[in-house]
Amino acid sequence: MLILATSTALVLSACGASDDPGTKVDSQDWSGVLADAKGETVNWYMFGGDDALNTFVEDEVAPRLASRGVKLKQVRITDTAEAVNKVLGEVQAGRTSGGSVDAIWINGENFATGVQADIWACGWADDLPNDSYVDHTDPAVANDFGVPVKGCESVWQKANSALVYDSAKLDPADVASGDSLLAWVKANPGRFAYPAPPDFTGSLAVRSLLYSRIDGPSSLSGAFDEQAYTKATSTFFDDLNALEPSLWRKGETYPSSQDDVERLFADGEISAYFTYGPGAVATKVDDGVFPTSTREAVLSSGNISNFSFISIPKNAAHRSAAFVLADTLQAPEVQLAMFKATGAYPGIGVSRTSKTAQKEFARVPRSASVLSIDELSARAQPELSSEYLTRIEKDWKSQVLQK
Amino acid sequence: MTFVHAVTSSPVMRRAVLLAPAMLVIGVFFIGGLAQALAQSLGQQPLLGDSRWSFDAYRSAATDPAVRSSIGLTLRIGILSTLLATVLGVGCALVVRRLGSGRVWMTRLFQGTLAVPHLVGALCISLLLSPTGQVSRVAHAIGLVDGSQQFPALVQDGFGWGIIAEYVWKETPFMAVIALAAMTADLNRLEDVSRTLGAARWQRLRHVTLPMLDAPVGAAAILVLAFTMGSYEVPVLLGRPFPAPLSVVTYQSFSDTDLTSRPQAMAVAVLLATLTTIIAGLYLMLVQLSRRRRT
Repeated sequence: MLILATSTALVLSACGASDDPGTKVDSQDWSGVLADAKGETVNWYMFGGDDALNTFVEDEVAPRLASRGVKLKQVRITDTAEAVNKVLGEVQAGRTSGGSVDAIWINGENFATGVQADIWACGWADDLPNDSYVDHTDPAVANDFGVPVKGCESVWQKANSALVYDSAKLDPADVASGDSLLAWVKANPGRFAYPAPPDFTGSLAVRSLLYSRIDGPSSLSGAFDEQAYTKATSTFFDDLNALEPSLWRKGETYPSSQDDVERLFADGEISAYFTYGPGAVATKVDDGVFPTSTREAVLSSGNISNFSFISIPKNAAHRSAAFVLADTLQAPEVQLAMFKATGAYPGIGVSRTSKTAQKEFARVPRSASVLSIDELSARAQPELSSEYLTRIEKDWKSQVLQK
Repeated sequence: MTFVHAVTSSPVMRRAVLLAPAMLVIGVFFIGGLAQALAQSLGQQPLLGDSRWSFDAYRSAATDPAVRSSIGLTLRIGILSTLLATVLGVGCALVVRRLGSGRVWMTRLFQGTLAVPHLVGALCISLLLSPTGQVSRVAHAIGLVDGSQQFPALVQDGFGWGIIAEYVWKETPFMAVIALAAMTADLNRLEDVSRTLGAARWQRLRHVTLPMLDAPVGAAAILVLAFTMGSYEVPVLLGRPFPAPLSVVTYQSFSDTDLTSRPQAMAVAVLLATLTTIIAGLYLMLVQLSRRRRT
């Protein structure tokens, strides 16, 4: 079945290879880009599991694009790797232009995959007019999980991770550090869970626990170093394995996705979990899905943060329209609307926007359940390079999951 | 005109023309896909442009614990689901057939469940059998278990009960519909004749009814087996990340962010296709043997 499905995708994409390649307008010629984009439809592939974000895209992004003459077609996917695989399949079938994916919401490992296969359009992100709001001095903007960005993707959101917990079950002292959290987990078996890596958030949870053990990522900064890695993880995986009897379902199995983990929290099966979207927790509490006693915490070793981006495949059929989408998403008023509607943090540097915009950002009301941007960024830690990520996921699989 | 005439007048040509659309689909999608998977499993790297032909992907698959633990699970799920669905389906059909006017309604009920997608079925099973599901709640209410933690793991369990339950629930009506369709007026007549010749109820079932069913039911069982061994969405919703059936393992390595793991994904896919073919072949041989023994 799988063979059939993949080959069908390949053959179908090969059939469409005769699309008109069209002329590619240079991103430096912005008025040319705007003129070229008029009347085009941009096919934007993005993770579709966040209802609040989907509503924001429909209500805020689509009308703004329409006013610039671009029609938005949001393609919701469950895993960003699907969109990358679609482009890879098209490239494999020889479709070098007229590709069906115009833009992808992406970061980290999936971006690195595309770099490995050289499928991204590059050198355009700095030409977007709204790029002036982006803080390029932030190392996480210049390097995406250790992979140099080189204008191959444009910043959209900032993501700060956090620990979500039920304050009726855990005290602030329990979530002060990684050690106190693990002590609580051992004292309350079955009440903590993380999805099995390579799930995006599962991988984050494992790294957060690693950061807590080695007190931040400083010993693993830069490119992959076998010696540093061996030293940092010497008994780490054994300890995670030893933690299993205290995890949900005694660690005999792991939830297969973050959706599952959040459902377990909503059902009251577990009382704490890691998230990369702390802003979205407010909506869940307001909707009555999560208990009102839901709170967030940052461990003493800090919280992992990163930026997510918009990338454009080389073979995209509507490149100009994708440029306009990427630029629109960086506009301060759009970033503000996103922060208000979804709790997702601005990818642009707020201090670079106008005084009134800064006041607006500061005035956005905050639920008691979520932390403020200041609290979330005070101890923010960068991501490791994607080689470390892949290795950690591989070792977790063989030394924890399969043991 | 003459060409069209030549084509339509020759029975061989006519058959070839009529079969062409179907053969085209099978040829392009099935044979083409299989060939591509085989080529990539042997080291063709269309994306990295660095093809080195070898059996490395098969070698690394053979030592990968994810693959090794998966083979037994895949066979267990496929064979158990198919056996249970076949026995239950044929059993249902034998009972429904005696219902008289109720037969029409029961057949419609069976046909109705055929329209339910497996994805929906899997979600329903999850809502029913998960530790906080309906069955667990009822069991707690009547005092069978103390709480959701005590309820036995029936989804995401090591054996695969949740997955098997979904397949049996979905495929039993399918087998029943096939069996009912084979229970024609001819079969009634044959049974009447054997009764007048003095065959007892059990003898009629064994020597008349079941032999008439085994060709269509056997074919349907192979379909069910091939499906349950290769399906992805049900085990991904109701199973564990490890050990997982071969279909899930294939997708895990296919969607690996490292493109160099693609050959192994294709090797596992080829392994799965081979395994299914072998089991189906063995089953067909068994059916042939039993048929020969009877005649």
